[in-house]
Amino acid sequence: MLEAHAPPPAARPAVVSAALTETNVRVNSDFRGDRIVLYGAIFDPLARPSDVVVIVRGPEQPVRIARRSRVAGVWVNSRPVVFQGAPGFYIAASTRPLDDIARFGVLRRLEAGVDHLAMNAPAEQRIETRYGVRDVVVSRLGADYLDWRRAVVRLKEAQHLYDVDEHGVRFVDRGLFRAEIPLPAEAPIGRYDVRILLFQNGQPVSEKDRTLTVEKVGVERGLYLWAHQRPWSYGLAAMAFALAAGWAASSAFRRD
Amino acid sequence: MDIYLPIAEVSVNAPLLVALGALVGFISGLFGIGGGFLMTPVLVFLGIPPAVAVASMSNHVAASSMSSVISYSHKRSVDFRMGGVLAAGGAAGSVAGVELFRWLRLLGQADLVVALSYLVFLGIIGGLMFWESVRAIARRRRNAPPPPRRERRPPWLYGLPLKLRFPRSRLYISVIPPLILGAFVGVLSAIMGVGGGFVLVPAMVYVLRMPASVVVGTSLFQIIITTALTGVLQAGRNQTVDIVLAALLLAGGVVGAQLGARASGRFRAEELRALLALIVLCVGLRMGLGLFFTPREAFVLMSGSGG
Repeated sequence: MLEAHAPPPAARPAVVSAALTETNVRVNSDFRGDRIVLYGAIFDPLARPSDVVVIVRGPEQPVRIARRSRVAGVWVNSRPVVFQGAPGFYIAASTRPLDDIARFGVLRRLEAGVDHLAMNAPAEQRIETRYGVRDVVVSRLGADYLDWRRAVVRLKEAQHLYDVDEHGVRFVDRGLFRAEIPLPAEAPIGRYDVRILLFQNGQPVSEKDRTLTVEKVGVERGLYLWAHQRPWSYGLAAMAFALAAGWAASSAFRRD
Repeated sequence: MDIYLPIAEVSVNAPLLVALGALVGFISGLFGIGGGFLMTPVLVFLGIPPAVAVASMSNHVAASSMSSVISYSHKRSVDFRMGGVLAAGGAAGSVAGVELFRWLRLLGQADLVVALSYLVFLGIIGGLMFWESVRAIARRRRNAPPPPRRERRPPWLYGLPLKLRFPRSRLYISVIPPLILGAFVGVLSAIMGVGGGFVLVPAMVYVLRMPASVVVGTSLFQIIITTALTGVLQAGRNQTVDIVLAALLLAGGVVGAQLGARASGRFRAEELRALLALIVLCVGLRMGLGLFFTPREAFVLMSGSGG
C-alpha cells in the first residue's frame, strides 16, 4: 500500500551534483595558466539518457572593438563600439555538440554557447517606431550588427578567452563525469561562475552553481595594488629605481 | 623561465626580455638614442598590451640613458645647459603628449597615429640621415676635402630674442628653437614610447649646429629628464607602468648601454650615422607599411575600457 503514496518513479527528477578540485586559483610570478578539473555525478534511478553542460563565466568586462576600413589607401580604425555584458572569460563544455543537446530557444535562455551570450552595444541602440510598431530597438550598426558580434567572439577565441568544447565533459563511469577547463595566463582576475546543467530530452532538469576565484597573491598582488591605489608614489619609486640602476651599472663598469 | 607581469597581466619569457634589453641598451649607448623606437614594437609583438609597453619603456630608456650619460659626462661631452633648455621644452611636451594619447585612445585612433608617426618621422629622418652620411663616407673614400661649411648663420636661429650662451657647444643662440625642439620631442616620447633621440641627434647637428662631440651626451641627458617625467605621468595618470617588465628590460639595458658607450669610440661618426639611419628606416617602414596592407582580420579589440 505504501508504494501507492510514493510518486511514480518516472516523475522523480534526476539530480546533478558537482565539485571543483580547485576553487582558488593563485596568480603569482610563475603563473602560466591553469587547468581546473571538475567532477560530478548524476543521480537518476531510471538512468535516462543525460547530457551535461558546464559553463564557466569570468567577471564581466565591456569589450571595445573597432573595424578597420580603407580611407585614402590607408587602413584606419572606425569609432570603437562598446559591447556590454560580455564576460572576460567564457567556456561552454559539454558531452555532445550543444545544438544536439537542446534547441535554440533553450540554449539562448541559458546563454549556453558563445553565439547565445547576452551581450549588446547599448550605446549604438535607439528606440523608434517602425512600420507603425512602437518601441522597436534599432542598432546603429544596422545589418552589420551580427558581423560585429561575431568579431568579438572570434577575437576572444583567438586569445583563448572564449571557447566551446563539444567534448569537454566526459563520462568516466556510470553517472560520473569529469570536465577540464583550461585557464590561460591572460584570464582576467576575479570571481568566476561555474554552472553545471543536466539535460534530459532537450530540457534542463537540474543545475548546480559553483564559484571559482582567480586572484593575485604575494608580490604580484602587492605591486598591482600599489600601482592602482597609490599610482604617483608607485611611478616615482619605479623611476627612482630605474635611475639608480643606471647609475649603479655605470659606476660598476668604471671601476674595472 | 616564464614570469607573470602584474600590470600587463601576461606571462613572458624572462631571459628573452633581459637579452632584448641588453641589445637595445647597446644600440642606445652606441648611438646616443633611447632605443624606444626599437623596443616598443618588439614588446607589442611579444603580446604585451601597447599602453603598458609604451609606459614601461620610459623607465627602461631613462635607466639606460642614465647609465651611458655618466660615461659621457666623464668625457666632458654633455652640454648640461643646452640639455636643460631642451628638457624644459620636453617637460611641457610630455605633459601635453600624455593627455593627447589618452584622448586618442578614447577615439580609438591611437594605433593609427602611432603607426603614422613611426612611418613619417622615422622614414624622413632615416632617409635624410642615410643620404647625408653615405655622401660623407663617399667623400672620405675619394679623399675629397669636406665641403665648405656654410658659415652663414641662419637668421631665425640667431636673430630671435632671449639669447643664451652655451659654452660647451660654443654657441650663442636664442633659447626658442631648442625649447620648441624639446617640446616636439616630449610629445613624441609620450605617443610613440620613445626617448626621441632619433629626432634630437640630427636636429642638434643640422638645425642647432652643435659640435658633433657633445651631441650624443646632451641628447641622452635631455632624454633622461623627459622620459623620467613621462614615466611618472604614465604611472600616475594611466596606471600602465609595469615595474617587473621595466626591471627585466633595464637589467640587460644598463649593461648593454655601458658596452655600447665604450664601443662607440671605435667607429667613425659618419659610419655610425649611416648604420643608425638604416635601422631607423627599417623600423619606420616595418611599422608604417602595415597601414597599407589589407589586414587579415577586419576587426580589432581595443585594450582597456577607455581610461
